Amino acid sequence: MKSTTPARSMKRSTKPDAETLERMLYYLKLTRESELRLEQLLYRQGKIVGGVYVGRGQEAIGVGAALAMRPGDVTLPCHRDFSVFMIRGFSLADIFANWLARGDAPARGRDNTLHMGDLNLGVIPIISPLGATLPVACGVGLVLQQRGNGNVVLTHFGEGTTSLGDVHEAMNLAAVLKLPVIFICNNNQFAYSTPAAKQFAVKSLALRGPAYGMPGERVDGCDVLALYDAVGRAVERARAGKGPSFLECLTLRMAGHSAHDAAEYVPEKLKLAWAKKDPIHRLERFLLARKVMTKRQIEELHKRVHQEIDAAVAQAESRPLPRGEEAVEGVYCEADCWWRRPPSAVHGPSSVATGTGQRTTHD
Amino acid sequence: MKTLTRAQLHEIYYYLHLNRRVDEQLTLLYRQGKVVGGVYSGLGQEAVSVGSAYALEPQDVLGPVIRNVGAMLIRGYRPRDLFLQYMARQDGPTNGRDANTHFGDVARGVIAPISMLGETVPLMAGIALAAKLHRENRVALAYVGDGASSTGPFHEGMNFAAVQKLPLLIIAENNGWAYSTPTSKQMAVLNMADRAPGYGILSAMVDGNDVLAVYAATRKAAEHARRGGGPVLIECKTMRMKGHAEHDDARYVPKQEFEKWQKKDPLRCFEKYLVAKRQMTAQEKASIEARIDQKIREDVAFAEASPLPPPEGAARPVWA
Repeated sequence: MKSTTPARSMKRSTKPDAETLERMLYYLKLTRESELRLEQLLYRQGKIVGGVYVGRGQEAIGVGAALAMRPGDVTLPCHRDFSVFMIRGFSLADIFANWLARGDAPARGRDNTLHMGDLNLGVIPIISPLGATLPVACGVGLVLQQRGNGNVVLTHFGEGTTSLGDVHEAMNLAAVLKLPVIFICNNNQFAYSTPAAKQFAVKSLALRGPAYGMPGERVDGCDVLALYDAVGRAVERARAGKGPSFLECLTLRMAGHSAHDAAEYVPEKLKLAWAKKDPIHRLERFLLARKVMTKRQIEELHKRVHQEIDAAVAQAESRPLPRGEEAVEGVYCEADCWWRRPPSAVHGPSSVATGTGQRTTHD
Repeated sequence: MKTLTRAQLHEIYYYLHLNRRVDEQLTLLYRQGKVVGGVYSGLGQEAVSVGSAYALEPQDVLGPVIRNVGAMLIRGYRPRDLFLQYMARQDGPTNGRDANTHFGDVARGVIAPISMLGETVPLMAGIALAAKLHRENRVALAYVGDGASSTGPFHEGMNFAAVQKLPLLIIAENNGWAYSTPTSKQMAVLNMADRAPGYGILSAMVDGNDVLAVYAATRKAAEHARRGGGPVLIECKTMRMKGHAEHDDARYVPKQEFEKWQKKDPLRCFEKYLVAKRQMTAQEKASIEARIDQKIREDVAFAEASPLPPPEGAARPVWA
């Protein structure tokens, strides 16, 4: 395939250390198991208001990308990027509470799914008309570029989204202004039921990069190490002021569009072929072969993940639903709204909103 | 591809010249205060409009934009239609409701220009889709400038046409400037044609001031599209030799740029070519130009004699 690679020419390659490798497996598992809990238990128990959208089979994209970030960076995850929220510092209990539409959850029960963000964690909330996310990322990129701190912005979207005009406008603008934006496209081969072959005529979306004058690269979307490396190189390029990159992360959505969708339109053969590429098993095999972890340690990690989920779900379920009389509140940002609360201990202050590194309480 | 006959070459010269003269006349009417609104000239870009439109078959449909008067003339509009229109006269194509090139005629295969420029691409993709579904031997041709190519609708139309393998030709008219924005600030690639590989479609890049090059590229692309090969993007490199409109003196354009392109004037270049190839005698040239002069004179007189629309009719016909 003819496409320029962002930084393959650059010497540095991001080799994760043992600790990072373990974190990768931890977050991959935590994501997979949390989403299974949501989709196959809480949803079926009728505890979820609305639909459940999971990223089964594509967890490596969120994990690889978010781990390649540093605190001052900003991310715009998409609805299948559960892991990004955790890695950026949302607590698992808060995430579950949001899905369960609890009154003190990030969206205060006004919305569930992953429609939440926190500027102090560098997480911009999801925009449901997905293409609109990219111009917002450019706006953030422009701010970061002007501040000159070398911080970058990552924006996640699917192959279906690439057909939207907003995406074109954003990619063109980012290329012309050399914005520090990393465009991360998860090509999971289906936009609801539309197969990729009916979405675009180009052999690889990576070719879109050079069409805008930025590097484009296809990455194995089931290989967290490849993702960590590719995103890392693109991030480094952006930090150096060399502008945006486009990454096509090839994977398969191993679930329906949503929990209500059996995805019968996806050929069985395709599902079986991609099941063999499962990102979690793949990393486990790697860790075992490299003797980074033992089988037993992996089993223990698995157990720990389940315990954490049990605790988070129990905690989230114990929280109250929003009170009826407050339904009209919180439409606009008030003094006590989510992002004005004290900084999270996880990543420390990294405010995009103020640029001071301090959270403002009253603007 | 069949070669052009002497008569066809003369016809192309006629349209290039007519396009130039209509433009000049409009500028004159503007300076006389007879035009309502602005005048958007296609000076220096005539070969793009004429070469591409001349390459189409009668059943084909084209979507011109503001500077493609040449294409409209080839499709049977007369100079008087433009004069009437720009002077907002009752007998004009929009009966004085619009004072610009916003008019079209499905019977002539001309879709009225859309001011939100990128929108022409999805619209023409729709026409190409209809042709494909009805199994008609018809191609659609959309004109789009360098500025319009940065809009979302351009992308959506291009991608849709590529996926559906529609018989759509995109004439990417790169005239160097989108109002005052130079192409280098419009896109980070050197050529508009560089976008094509991102859609998985074919592209061509031609000298937009060479009418025969534009003709040949369009002809070849149309054949490809008719065979079911899908859309083709043809980038025509040219230069807007005036301001964005008559009110704009374009002082932001470096003077050398104008001087450089002045030497490549499409009309003069084609004239030289015809003379050198012995395809047009001085007498033939004089006769073509006399025909044009007379037509312009007649049509200006006709347009000036046409009344302004009566105010009581202003609210009609807003709807078709």
